[in-house]
Amino acid sequence: MAKPTSNEQVLQGTLDLLILKTLSLAPMHGWGLTHRIEQLSRDALQVGQGSIYPALVRLEQRGWIDTEWRVTENSRRAKYYRLTAAGRRALSQELASWNRFVSAVGLVLAAGS
Amino acid sequence: MPHQLRATFARMMELFRRRSQFAADQDDEFDFHIEMEAAENVRRGMSPDDARRAALLRFGGTQRFREETSDARGIAAFDHLARDARFAFRRLRRAPAFTAGVIATLGIGIGAAAGIGTIVYDVLLRDLPYEKPTQLVRVGFVTEGTTTTSDLLTPAEYFHFAKSAPRSFTELGDYGTSDDFSVTGGDAPEYVTVAFLSPNLLTLLGVRPILGELFRTADTSWTENPRIPILISERFWRRRFGADSSVIGRQIEINRGARIVIGILPRSFGFPSPSTDLYYPAPVPIRHPQLGLGYLTAIGRLRDGVTPSAAEAELNALIPSMSGRFPDITRDMLRRSRARATVEPLKAATVAAVHPQLVLLGVLVAIVLLIATTNVVNLFLLRAERASQETAIALSLGASRVALSQRFVVEGVLLGVASTIVALPAAALTLSTKFGFTEREIPRLHEVSFSWQTVALVCGSAIVVGAVVGLIAVGRTDISGVFDRLRASRSASSLAWRRTQNGLVAFQVAIALVLLIAAGLLGRSFWNLLNARIGFEPADALTFHVSLPWDGYTSYGAQAEFHAKLVDRLTALPGVTSAGVAQWFPLANSGAPELVTQLQAPDGRSIVAASGNLASTDYFRAAGIPLRAGRTFRAGDLRGAPAVILSERLAKSLFGATDVVGKQIQGQAFAGMQLRPFTIIGVAGDVPWARIEDGDVPTVYLPLLRDADGLPADSNPIHRNPYEVRYTIRGARLPSAATIQEVVKTLDRRIPAANVRTLGSLVDDATARVRLTMLLIAIAGSAALLLGVIGVYSVVSYAANGRVREFGIRIALGAAPSHVGGMVLGDGLRLVATGAGVGLVAALGATRFLRALLYEVKPTSAAEFSAATALLIAVTVIATFVPARRAARTHPAVVLRGE
Repeated sequence: MAKPTSNEQVLQGTLDLLILKTLSLAPMHGWGLTHRIEQLSRDALQVGQGSIYPALVRLEQRGWIDTEWRVTENSRRAKYYRLTAAGRRALSQELASWNRFVSAVGLVLAAGS
Repeated sequence: MPHQLRATFARMMELFRRRSQFAADQDDEFDFHIEMEAAENVRRGMSPDDARRAALLRFGGTQRFREETSDARGIAAFDHLARDARFAFRRLRRAPAFTAGVIATLGIGIGAAAGIGTIVYDVLLRDLPYEKPTQLVRVGFVTEGTTTTSDLLTPAEYFHFAKSAPRSFTELGDYGTSDDFSVTGGDAPEYVTVAFLSPNLLTLLGVRPILGELFRTADTSWTENPRIPILISERFWRRRFGADSSVIGRQIEINRGARIVIGILPRSFGFPSPSTDLYYPAPVPIRHPQLGLGYLTAIGRLRDGVTPSAAEAELNALIPSMSGRFPDITRDMLRRSRARATVEPLKAATVAAVHPQLVLLGVLVAIVLLIATTNVVNLFLLRAERASQETAIALSLGASRVALSQRFVVEGVLLGVASTIVALPAAALTLSTKFGFTEREIPRLHEVSFSWQTVALVCGSAIVVGAVVGLIAVGRTDISGVFDRLRASRSASSLAWRRTQNGLVAFQVAIALVLLIAAGLLGRSFWNLLNARIGFEPADALTFHVSLPWDGYTSYGAQAEFHAKLVDRLTALPGVTSAGVAQWFPLANSGAPELVTQLQAPDGRSIVAASGNLASTDYFRAAGIPLRAGRTFRAGDLRGAPAVILSERLAKSLFGATDVVGKQIQGQAFAGMQLRPFTIIGVAGDVPWARIEDGDVPTVYLPLLRDADGLPADSNPIHRNPYEVRYTIRGARLPSAATIQEVVKTLDRRIPAANVRTLGSLVDDATARVRLTMLLIAIAGSAALLLGVIGVYSVVSYAANGRVREFGIRIALGAAPSHVGGMVLGDGLRLVATGAGVGLVAALGATRFLRALLYEVKPTSAAEFSAATALLIAVTVIATFVPARRAARTHPAVVLRGE
C-alpha cells in the first residue's frame, strides 16, 4: 500500500466499526476516540473530528454504547463512552461482515493478475 | 384545567427541558473536545490562538454537528416544526388575501360550529343540575281516548300514584306553575312566576336553600293556616329585597294573599324555569277528582336498577284501582279514555320538544363547517398547483417527501390556529346571542354559556381542521406527480388531481342545492305564515296583562266593575278608538289551549270541547276579530240563558253550519259540572292559540259585562271569573306603557299592568322561529352557492387553460369557435349536472327533517325543488360561460407558442 499522501477519509459505514473496535479496548471520551483511531491507523485515517459525535449518538440509541460523565486526569468534566454487551456482540458481527467484504473485494481485484 | 390537558402540558415541558439539557451537555462536550485539541496543538508548538483556530477548523463547524446529533436523537422533528412554522408564517404573510380568506372562512365555520356544538351539548346531552340526575324521571298521564293534547296529571291522578307508593320509585313529587301572581306590597307591584311544589320535590331534586329552610315534607298544617309559607328565588331576593337576610320570616303581600318567606333557593336551581320567583307548597285537597286535562308535572326518582319501562309498567298496573279510590272516576271512564302512564328520563322529557330543531341546527352548522373546509382545501390545492414547479425543484434537489408534506400540514395547522382569532369571538357571539332564542323556545338554555370548554373546543377543532386541510392537500397534490409538472405536460397524475377537484366542486354544488331547496321551502313557509289569516288585525293596537288581587275582588261583579271602569278610562285616552278586555288573546298564549269548556248541540248527539274566553262588549272591535253573524255582547246578556258567541270553527263542528244565531246549546264550564242552557247571539272569526301553524282554536266567548248585569253579588251564571285578563286598545295614536300603568294605578295602586306590547310584535314573535331558521339556511345556502360557483368557474377555466393548444389546433383545422366553446361549456355542465343530481337525491331525504318547521308546504314540493335547481343551473352556467367564450376566441397562433 502506498504511503498516504493525503488524509484518507473514513469509508462510509466503517466509522461505526472503528468506534466500536476502539471502545472495546478501553472506555474513552470523544476527543480521545478520534486521536486513538488516527494513532492506531498510524495517521492513515483522518476522522472528521466533529462527525464522530452524530455517530456516537446513533450508537448510543441502538444500545451498543453507554455514556457517563467522569472527571479527567486534568480534573475536567468529560463524557466517556463505553461498549455495552450488545455493543460487543454487534462488534463481532460487524467484524465478520467487514472481513467477508474485504476478502470479496480482494478476490475481485486479484482476478486476472 | 382538566388533568389530561395538564398531563400533556407536563409531557411537553419535560421534553423541552430534556432537550435543553441535552443541548447544554453537548456544548460542554464539544468545548472539551476543542480544548483538548487546542492543548495538543500547543504541545506541538503552535501559539494558543493558532492552536484554537486549527482545532475549530478541524472539528468542522459545531452547528452542523449539533443538528446532526439532534437528527440522530429524533429531536429534529421539533426543530423542523419550528422552522416549518416560521417558513409557513413567511409564506402566508406574502399572500395576505389567501391568508385572510382562509382565516375568515375557517374562523366563521369553526366559531359557529363550536357555538352551536356547545348549545347542543349543554341542552341535549349535559346532565341536569340536580342530585344523581340520571335517576330522575318524568311521569305522564295520557288519556288518548278523550280529547287532550298533554301528558300532565290532574291532582287525582297524581294523588293516586303518590299514595299507592309504587316500589319503582324512592320518591314521587309534582309541581305546577302560574303566571298570574303579582307582588302587590310596596310602590312597584310586579308580576311573578310561581311554582307550586309538593313539599318533597325539593329534597327529591336535592336542592339546599342558601338561607332559611325548605318546606317540611310531613308538615301540612299550612293547609289550615292562612299564613302559608313560601320560598323565594335568589334572583327575586336580590331584586326585591337587595339580598337582605332579615327577609326570612317576613310577610310579603301577594295578590292571592299574604305569605311568609321561610327560605331562599339558589340561582343555580332555576326550576322549573329560571324565571320562577316564588315557590308555594302545592295544595293537597282534591275538590273534583277528574280524569284527563291535567296541569301538574310529576317527577320521580327511580330506585337503583329500575328502568323507566319497568316503572311505567308498575304505574299502569295501578291505574284500574283509581276507581276504587275516587268513585267519581268510573272503570268505564278509565277504559274509554284509554288511560295510561308514561315514564321517561327527565332530561329527555325536558328537551324533547326542541330535539329535532337542535339536531337540525347541528347538521346545518356541520354543513357550514364542511363547506368552509372544502373551500379552504380548494384554495390550498390551487395554491399548491401554482407552486408545483417550486415543489418539484425542491424535490429534485433532495428535499424529502415527508418534509414537504410536513410543510403543508404545518401551514394548515398554522392557519387553523390563526383562525381562532375569528372563531373565538364568533363562538362567543353565537353563545351570547343564542340566535335570539330564549328559554321559552329552548329549555335549559340558561345553562348554556361561553366557558373554557368552548375555548378548548374551538382551539381543538381549529387545529384538527387545519391539519386535515393540510393532509388533504398533501394527499391530493400527489407530490410524486410534480416531476411531470417540471416537464410541463399533462399527465395521469395531474388528471387524478383534477378529478379530485371535480369531485369537491360537484360536492359543493350538491350541498348548495340541498340548502337552496331547504331555504326555498322555509321561505315559502314563512310567506305562508305571513299571509296566513291570523284572525285579528295586528296594526294600530296594543295589548297588556292585568291580574286582580283576591282581596277586594272576590265576585264576578266586583271584577267586572273594575274592568268596565278601566275600559272607560282607556277609551277616554286621546287617540284611542276602542278598548276591550278578554281572558286570553291569540298568540299571547303559550303551550296548548285548555279545552275545558264542553258544549252540546241541541240534538244531544255531540259534545265538543272548546276553549272558553270572557269578552267585553268592545273586545271584538278592539282586537279586530270580525263578527261573521249576529252581534256582540250587551247589557242583559247574563240574564236567563246567558249569551255566547261561537267561533266559526266551533259553530261548524257543533251544527255543521255557521247559521246558528238565536239557537240554544247546552254547556258546562268544566267537565263534571252541570249542563245549562246558553243562547247563541253571534259567530266570530277564528283565531289561533299560541302558534299560527297549529291552526285555530275552537272558542266560545262568554259575556264580561259591567256590574254583572245587576245580578246578586254571589251569582255567577257562567262560572268563570275574570281575575286574569288581557286588555286590547286600538287607535291611531296609542298610549305609552307608562301612561297605561298610570291609568291602572289610579284605579288600584296594587295592580300592575304588565307585558304592554303591540299586536304586531305578537305576530313577529309567532313567526320568529321559522324566520330565523329560514335566514340561517338562506345564509348557508348563499354561501354554498357562491363557493360552488367559484369552484365551478375555477375548475372549468383551469381545465380550459390547459387545453389551449388543443383548442388552437382544432380552430386551425377548421372547427367552429362555437364548437370549441361548447366543449368547455359541456365540461362545466357535466360537473353541475353531477352535483345537482346528487343534491336532488340528498334533498329528497333531507327536507323531511324540516317537516316540523314547514307550514302549508310539502317537504317535497315540486315548485321549490325546480326553482332551486333552475337557480343553481342558471348561476353555474353563467360561471361556465366566461371560460367557454375565452376558449372559443382562442387564436390558432397559440399552437406555435410554447406553453
